[in-house]
Amino acid sequence: MKKWSSVRLGLVFLFMLTLLLTGCTGGGSSSTQGKAMGEKARYKVDKDTPAWKLDKKKNTKLTWYVNADWFNKDFGHDTITKQLKKDLNVDIKFVTGDDTKLNTYFASGDMPDIVTIFGGNTPTAQKANTWALPLNELAEKYDPYFNKVAKEQTLNWYQLKDGNTYGYPSYSNTEEHYKSGLIPGADAFIVRDDIYKAIGKPSMETPEQFLDAMAKIKQKFPDVTPFGFKGFSAEGDPGSLGSMFQNHIGVPIDKDGKWYDRNLDKDYLTWIKAFNKAYKKGYISNDNFSDNNTKFEEKVARGQYATVMASGIPQLSGSLQKNIATHPAQKYIAVNGPKSTVGHEPTLNQTGISGWSVTYITKKVKDPQKAIQLFTYLLSDEGQFLTNFGVKGETYELNADGKAELKPEVVKLRNENPEEYKKKYRLGEFWFFGHDTFAIEHGKNDPNEAIGQIQEWAKGKLKPQFILENTDPDSGTAEARSLTNINSYWAKTLASLLRAKNEQDFDKTLSKYETFQKDNNFDKIEEVRNKKIKENKEKLQQ
Amino acid sequence: MTKKTFWHKLKSQIPLQLMVIPGIIFMIIFCYIPIYGLVIAFKSLTVTDTIASAPWVGLENFKIAFSDKFFWESVVNTLAISFLKLGIGFIAPIILSIMIFELKDGWFKKTVQTISYLPHFLSWIVVGGMLISWLSTSGLINTFLVGIGVIDSPKNYLVDPNSYWFIAVLSDVWKSVGWGTIIYLATMAGIDPTYYEAAKIDGATKMQQIFHITLPLMKFVITLMFILAVGGILGSNLDQTLVLINPLNASHAEVINSYVYKIGLAQGDFSYATAVGLAISVISLLLVVITNKLSKKVNNRSIF
Repeated sequence: MKKWSSVRLGLVFLFMLTLLLTGCTGGGSSSTQGKAMGEKARYKVDKDTPAWKLDKKKNTKLTWYVNADWFNKDFGHDTITKQLKKDLNVDIKFVTGDDTKLNTYFASGDMPDIVTIFGGNTPTAQKANTWALPLNELAEKYDPYFNKVAKEQTLNWYQLKDGNTYGYPSYSNTEEHYKSGLIPGADAFIVRDDIYKAIGKPSMETPEQFLDAMAKIKQKFPDVTPFGFKGFSAEGDPGSLGSMFQNHIGVPIDKDGKWYDRNLDKDYLTWIKAFNKAYKKGYISNDNFSDNNTKFEEKVARGQYATVMASGIPQLSGSLQKNIATHPAQKYIAVNGPKSTVGHEPTLNQTGISGWSVTYITKKVKDPQKAIQLFTYLLSDEGQFLTNFGVKGETYELNADGKAELKPEVVKLRNENPEEYKKKYRLGEFWFFGHDTFAIEHGKNDPNEAIGQIQEWAKGKLKPQFILENTDPDSGTAEARSLTNINSYWAKTLASLLRAKNEQDFDKTLSKYETFQKDNNFDKIEEVRNKKIKENKEKLQQ
Repeated sequence: MTKKTFWHKLKSQIPLQLMVIPGIIFMIIFCYIPIYGLVIAFKSLTVTDTIASAPWVGLENFKIAFSDKFFWESVVNTLAISFLKLGIGFIAPIILSIMIFELKDGWFKKTVQTISYLPHFLSWIVVGGMLISWLSTSGLINTFLVGIGVIDSPKNYLVDPNSYWFIAVLSDVWKSVGWGTIIYLATMAGIDPTYYEAAKIDGATKMQQIFHITLPLMKFVITLMFILAVGGILGSNLDQTLVLINPLNASHAEVINSYVYKIGLAQGDFSYATAVGLAISVISLLLVVITNKLSKKVNNRSIF
């Protein structure tokens, strides 16, 4: 008898559980996009006036989800968001999180109004037509001015197969931007000025010259490490001696329009052999292979490397600044450094056309008119001036050349208390539609002490690599998994090549890598890449 | 008859039963309902899908994981590190707790305890940074070893794959040993002091007291801790791995968790990660049940 009742109890329990579960998962169906887009504009749409100037609606509330836990959620207290609130009559509630939180939004169907994600090649971005509103239609209906401020090439690049563009990226650099020469370089071979002078400013452009210079440094400055580089801090991270160095010596990015295995380029491997010699002579520290990024930055800040193959100069600027602050003579400067042994020119790279973050207006948006106005505003000169320099008269003034000049107290705070500066002004921190070239074109900021010379050096050396963007196999596919393993193995191979005991060891490690590629679907990955390169070319020719 | 007693019993306990209900509801909502999410192990779920809308793929995710030789390499590393941790890390807190127990109460005992607990409160990110410094060519360990003449020239231990298992195990033991003593010290505090007094009168030495009174009376807690530890054999310390791994030691450092993170989560492939997680949970459960059964047979003690 007791058994019977517990079975029955169990059944009731199970039934209840089923009810609960079905209740939990019922809300996932996607809505039709008609609802949000159905309303007519509440103002007279004009293609020459941005709609935010026409719309008189007060106090619109929008929820904006940013897929990054570190984003500052504050709104309405700093210079930028205070002005944004005033100009657009909008109150934004920022929500931050990671992919899990984003998935919860999708699963519940209760989407925020605006969503910012990272990576235009993620499944989320590729399926944007299921959850976001087409920007082109929104613009047409509510704010045609959007098309004047958005870059056409960027819109084309983000077009999905249905012909609509759903998201707009930050820091998307078009060919036009590359041609303008205004994109600041992010990678360079840098050397400590005092050491460079002490060894007679030698050229380090060929492997022999490089090794000679290293020998001189080692002899004259036994306490510093002659050569350092960023990377190897995590598995699968070849750091600045990987593709970044390939850009530096100008390894071709494709061969006759097909994907080219730059890691096995002869010119590149000649240099890796030279670095291997440097390692054997003690010019490269073993610690470089185990240091994490923080350690690397600390060492740069202390001037512990005589020369550095540096990547991500803007991120390194804090450390470079610290170095100058304590030892002005030790300032790192960019020099030509290693050059192609077969006469290639540098093809430095920066953020490409895909940009960095991508921002969408979702189908559940409460006020699509205000949302597209916000996009237009932030992309227009008003928004760009605001996010880069703040408010005229308050944080900047226009000088005689019409360039924005930050007020002395703002610059002072930036140099002395960067945290407080971020909190109070937030300049450069509201990056959703940000662009590097704007500040350079319209601002008269004194060149940054630490990185000004480095960026000056890089001028004219940047070339787009758009055709290679997003050409890795789609995540979740067998090819993508194989590629992850191949990339890990490449980082290991590169580290082993740099530390090879002799020529034989070097060649053996390299041929092991080639075998590894073959054993792990590399021909299929290449196929995918070639197909995507072809698609990219078509998109760029639109 | 039995039915009657059940309801009678329930009725007589109504106030107590009511107090249990919130706990049960909590368990249902936060422990049992999420179990439903495990079905994504048999589906292909991306960020934009709901659990219900994702397409079924059967055992595909398990096949991907278990037919992947790199996955098995990570299993080998996980087992090696776990067994070493079980060997050293399980015994260390027992020994340390007995040593602390035998100390006279006073400032020294308190200081030892505090110092040994401290590393537990540091995050692996901090400990990782310290270890990278200590193990580097100019770090603490090399300076010491070169100083006393054990080795001629400094060596970076983190780039040597053969040292990795020991670095992982020893740093983990250092971090957790003090914290691990708490439960043993609590048990020892419960031992009736008259046992020791009687033993002393009989002329038992300190060692004899430890082996014949302390350890036998701790047997149950030790068994319990052991069974739980066995269940964690396939688990691995993701934080520790991510801060200490680099391309050169990866061949020995890659554990199941970090591999699944790399292949699955880092690419937004929740289904793959869930499939591996589910498989590991099932195996761990089996391990616990088997150890428990064995313990019952050999020891006549079990936790359930």
